[in-house]
Amino acid sequence: MTPTVAQKVPVRSQPPGKAKRRRTVVAPHRRDNRTAYLMIAPMVILLGIFVIWPLIYSVYLSTFEISFYQEPVFVGLDFYRYVLESPEFWHSIVIGLYYALLTVPTTIVMALLLASFIKSLSRRAAAFMKTTVYLPAVVSTVVASVLFVFIYQDEGVGNWLLGMLSVGPVNWLNDPHVALPAIAVPGIWLGFGVTTLILLAGLLDIPENYYEQAQLDGAGPFQRMFYITIPLLKNVLLYLFVTGFTLAIQMFDLPLIMTGGGPVEATNTPNLYIFNSFRDLTPYATSFSLTASLLLFVVIGAISVVVFRLIRSDKAVDG
Amino acid sequence: MTPRVLRPTANALLIVLISVTIMFPLAWMAIAGFKGRTEVLRSPFQFFPDMWSFDNYSRILQDPEFMRAMGITFVGALIFTALSLAVNSLAAYAFARLEFRGKRFWWVYCITPMFIPMMAIMLTSFMVVTKLNMLNTLAVLIIPGVASGAQMFFIRQFYLGFPVAVEEAAMIDGASRWQIFLRLFLPQSAAPFVVMGIASYLAYWNAYVWPVLTITDPNLTQIMQFLGTFRSTRGNDWGMLMAGSTLASVPTIFLLLIFQRFIVNGVRISGIK
Repeated sequence: MTPTVAQKVPVRSQPPGKAKRRRTVVAPHRRDNRTAYLMIAPMVILLGIFVIWPLIYSVYLSTFEISFYQEPVFVGLDFYRYVLESPEFWHSIVIGLYYALLTVPTTIVMALLLASFIKSLSRRAAAFMKTTVYLPAVVSTVVASVLFVFIYQDEGVGNWLLGMLSVGPVNWLNDPHVALPAIAVPGIWLGFGVTTLILLAGLLDIPENYYEQAQLDGAGPFQRMFYITIPLLKNVLLYLFVTGFTLAIQMFDLPLIMTGGGPVEATNTPNLYIFNSFRDLTPYATSFSLTASLLLFVVIGAISVVVFRLIRSDKAVDG
Repeated sequence: MTPRVLRPTANALLIVLISVTIMFPLAWMAIAGFKGRTEVLRSPFQFFPDMWSFDNYSRILQDPEFMRAMGITFVGALIFTALSLAVNSLAAYAFARLEFRGKRFWWVYCITPMFIPMMAIMLTSFMVVTKLNMLNTLAVLIIPGVASGAQMFFIRQFYLGFPVAVEEAAMIDGASRWQIFLRLFLPQSAAPFVVMGIASYLAYWNAYVWPVLTITDPNLTQIMQFLGTFRSTRGNDWGMLMAGSTLASVPTIFLLLIFQRFIVNGVRISGIK
């Protein structure tokens, strides 16, 4: 079986303009319980030891008051109540959501445009761009944060550029309205490369004749984008939205180094809030931050389920 | 309009514009490595140093600890990447193609870790690896992160789009599920494997908190741990940090140059049937 055979299989005769695709029917065979269990076993076991068990243990620990000076005391769900009643916790969730809203759609739209551009390039130019877009990802978050702190200085590059447009200067990291968008910029810069490569790989996979036929039918670039590209990229887009969101809401290092959560808590993301309450070293800091991070998990999980449902609802992605 | 002339020119302009925007901060990092200890921080912002000094770069290159950290991290990252692709793609295939009892449950089980904040299990994971006597081994850096819900999810999305008919033909010819996975799916997985492999490699390479928690043996010091020393014990030596970060990014850039070619036309990835 060679790739050439595989390429012939897609339902070619379908009108490309219509995004409707036939649902794949998973090959009809007897259940393969044994094979399947063997195949997922390594993953299931590793996750069990290093993720699921620690998670269960964390939940158990969160019902105790842990302090360095005395034996743990069972307190039941007290800490959950403390966290849920704390306005700072909810505020940090809002900040996290706002940050995700600033970064995820921007990254995906920009990456999609850039990927389309790279696709249209010659082989050599494309090779150059594929490497270039990924370069920011090799910089660690720490270095990126420091870098952008300099860019955002009062007399830094940011204000110098604005000065050329005769606007500003802007107090980037000290203005509560600007600080979070200012932090989103390095966030986008860091995550942009991998998104572009993923989308590029997805784009390259769309059979060229879909576009040719659409063009014959008189479809413009926008119609091609919305009726061919986006529907056919649904599998990839679902992945990008879910992982982009979970990573974004957990953003931690950038605000830690760039603003420390200020000004007036405007960049206090959930993980930063949890980290700071841990650093407080109040007697219950450990229990409190543990419980808060477990509740953050619940929030992320719930929102992700919604995203899955939304994108899945029209049966474009199916197993 | 004369698209034959206009297009390449416009493209070239766009390429230059995009690469300059993307690379400006990187260039700044590399150049900051030539600056003195205090010069990096100076306001107003200055791109080039007053005097080019090779001090930082030569000091780091002569530091045996740096080379050792680079080497051990590189080896660890390669093993980590290979293992995680193996473990996750196998599970991805099972979830994309096989029907088995409890599939929904195991799917949720494998995908949930994506949503667990690091902070929620940091303490207890540390307790687990301590119990397993894994502290100060290469294994503690590699094994706990190998299974990744996100990576499995990505590869599964790709396998979902793989034409079923080819597989059916192979089954009629008597191929087992394992053979199908090894002979049909793996050879066509170059693009998703490269995309995910680079991500795994970078996740390992840039890890900081976990190595700091679990590694105290200087022979196993990871590269980010090493770079971190410029920020704490030796005081904030920004020039050194920038020079070190620049040098540390070299192996990764080489890998990128080698592997980018696998993301090309004709590799199935997005799920078109």
